[in-house]
Amino acid sequence: MEQVFALPAKWWFEAVSVWLTVAVVIYFIVSIPGIYFIMKYRFKPGEREIGDHEKHGHWGLEALFVIVPTIIVLVLATYSFVIFKKQRTAPPDAMTIKVTGFMWGWQTEYLDEKGNTIKTVVTSFNPTSYEIPEDQKIVVPAGKPVKALLTSLDVIHSFYVMPARITEDMVPGRITHLWFQINKPGEYWIFCREFCGTGHSHMFTKLKVVPPEQFTAWLKGETNLAKGELKINEEVVR
Amino acid sequence: MREAIPVPYLKAGLKEWIFTTDHKKIGIMYLTTSYIFFLVAGFFGLLIRFEQTSPGYQIVQPDFYNYLLTGHGAVLLLWWAIASHIGGFGNFLLPLMIGAKDVAFPRLNALSWWAFFGASVLVLLTLIPGNHIKMMWTGYPPYATTGDAGVTALYVFIIHLVGISSIATAVNFITTYIKMRAPGIHFWNTNMFVHTLIAANVIQLVGVPSLAGAVTMLLLDKYLGTNFYNPAKGGDPLLYQNVFWFYSHPVVYVQILPVFGFFSEIVPTFARRPLFGYKTMIFAVWGIVLLSFMVWIHHMFVSGVPDWIRVIMSYTTILIAVPTGIKIFNWIGTLHGAAIILRSPMLYALGGIFMFLIGGLTGIPNAMVAIDLGISDSLFIVGHFHYVLGMAVTLGVLGAIIYWFPKMTGKMYPEGYGKLSFWLVFIGANLFYFFQMVVGMLGNPRRYPDYPPIPEWHTLHQIQTVGAVILGIGILIFTIGVIKGLLSGEKAPDNPWQSQSLEWRIASPAPVDNFGDEHPKVEPDYHPYKYGAPPVF
Repeated sequence: MEQVFALPAKWWFEAVSVWLTVAVVIYFIVSIPGIYFIMKYRFKPGEREIGDHEKHGHWGLEALFVIVPTIIVLVLATYSFVIFKKQRTAPPDAMTIKVTGFMWGWQTEYLDEKGNTIKTVVTSFNPTSYEIPEDQKIVVPAGKPVKALLTSLDVIHSFYVMPARITEDMVPGRITHLWFQINKPGEYWIFCREFCGTGHSHMFTKLKVVPPEQFTAWLKGETNLAKGELKINEEVVR
Repeated sequence: MREAIPVPYLKAGLKEWIFTTDHKKIGIMYLTTSYIFFLVAGFFGLLIRFEQTSPGYQIVQPDFYNYLLTGHGAVLLLWWAIASHIGGFGNFLLPLMIGAKDVAFPRLNALSWWAFFGASVLVLLTLIPGNHIKMMWTGYPPYATTGDAGVTALYVFIIHLVGISSIATAVNFITTYIKMRAPGIHFWNTNMFVHTLIAANVIQLVGVPSLAGAVTMLLLDKYLGTNFYNPAKGGDPLLYQNVFWFYSHPVVYVQILPVFGFFSEIVPTFARRPLFGYKTMIFAVWGIVLLSFMVWIHHMFVSGVPDWIRVIMSYTTILIAVPTGIKIFNWIGTLHGAAIILRSPMLYALGGIFMFLIGGLTGIPNAMVAIDLGISDSLFIVGHFHYVLGMAVTLGVLGAIIYWFPKMTGKMYPEGYGKLSFWLVFIGANLFYFFQMVVGMLGNPRRYPDYPPIPEWHTLHQIQTVGAVILGIGILIFTIGVIKGLLSGEKAPDNPWQSQSLEWRIASPAPVDNFGDEHPKVEPDYHPYKYGAPPVF
């Protein structure tokens, strides 16, 4: 059996390939006759000076133009609805993290079953490079679904987990959510994709996926806030 | 009685231009203004493109980059993609195509233009350092209410002035079409451009107040301490997005429908045959208008709105593919059995249709909510709307400028410049926006002046820059062609393209009193696309 790399990315890639196939087929169905007509039906003085001026349309053909595309798009929308349900419904065994965005970084809290915070990791703003200190990475176990509850301290941000191909905005005053599962240990990008000002393009972090045993050990370690070097910039922007 | 002014229009005095209520002059002023703004905002776009060529900050700092992006978006959407064809061609062509002397309310029309002019001045004020607006053309709160966002008030007043102008124009055009058609012009023999223009103005009339409301609340929030969008005091930032997109989604049809009109005028003329499926085209236009107000949540698929509304609007959004598809099929159908003359307006129109085909097909994944969760706010969407809005609109308007150039100026646009600029723009744009979509699919977020040094991303950005340079040279050549045509163009015959439509029956350039009498004589079997006789060149 093929190893699934990440969820819900697996379904996302399937949906993209379905769309791409349909799009390429439609592109050729439309453009090949179009280019052929342009080549064939040229104006030639003395020979071909007027087009088919009797033909104003063809009701049968036009009914076809309506019915076939309608069926295609409804099938595509329904197919996407089915996947959407899976993308939005976290598996019941998912662990929960709460991520709060701010200008321009993230605070990640690891919650236990009762919703109490076990550990907090803060990613601070790095305006000059895309390097990130080891203790600021968001660590999650491999092969376990993670549900992320999202909110924001100041303006709207978004949380894009690139390997999982899933985004959700972080809106102040609201808690939104998404879930993902990465099966292969490694380091992956997380970006903010909702415009949030000067530091927008440097609002990023790394998702560090580790084997579950290593994660359990890491969770018991202390928060990077303890060093006292980091604090969230809570200056009121208003 | 208005006095006859000397033609061509270049010779009219400044006073005549300032106090004019003539729809043709107002149209030309709109078109000139929007073309100049198009060049400036296009230059902004090039700077944005160059900044992204390599990771790191090369030419501009993020704050200035954000200003460039805001200006590029707002100006190209409001000045180029709306004012060029509604204010410009709409004013110039609507009375000519329906056989009227002027629009219904000429002085209101002048007011529209001067409100628009005021907005243009405000836009120029944002060029002054310290007046920069940096919150993107969408202006989402709470960001827009922060100090980092720039001068929100200027943005709000620009929207208000453009909005006043749009509403006045919409009232004017709709009244003109209903009340002032020449006897013999009716719903089923009106030009497609007029149909699309009226449909677009119906959207304006219904939608603009919604946008005006959204930005007014923004103004009150930022400067007078109200809390419409402040979650800390019981407001909701998503309220803005809902009210904003209720208009700002339908506005894309305001921007594209008249361009569909251009395609439908140009293609039959150079194919020498009637527009295929004229009646279904009209149904498709009104189908688009109806659906356009039921889809706005697709801009908010990841904004945290409830899941059920995302699914409903995913269905309504994807259904828009049906009427737009009909239009593409009908243009292709028009080419069947035709006698095609590949002059430059036809090249621009066909190129625009092909760009729109790709743009339409790449719109489908944005409508499929499952895919959108992975590509929302990536460069994919930017590439997509540069196909549909950016290039389909630009190619359509440039084609229309060449096509109606004789009627506006009495001169012909130099054909060589038209063909050369078309190929450069077409190739450059495809190179640029196709690879923009690819890098977006790989995950590159939008509105990023800097990005991580991922090798594939870097390569794809370099290809885009090459495309953008070719595109820019194409636009430059087109602009030189306009100046050359104005100064030393060949004198235009009255009907250089042998069109059947009403506006070509009068002299070139169009005389001040249009048809002389109140209305031209329209024969009972008149139809703008009745191409039954060989053209006489």
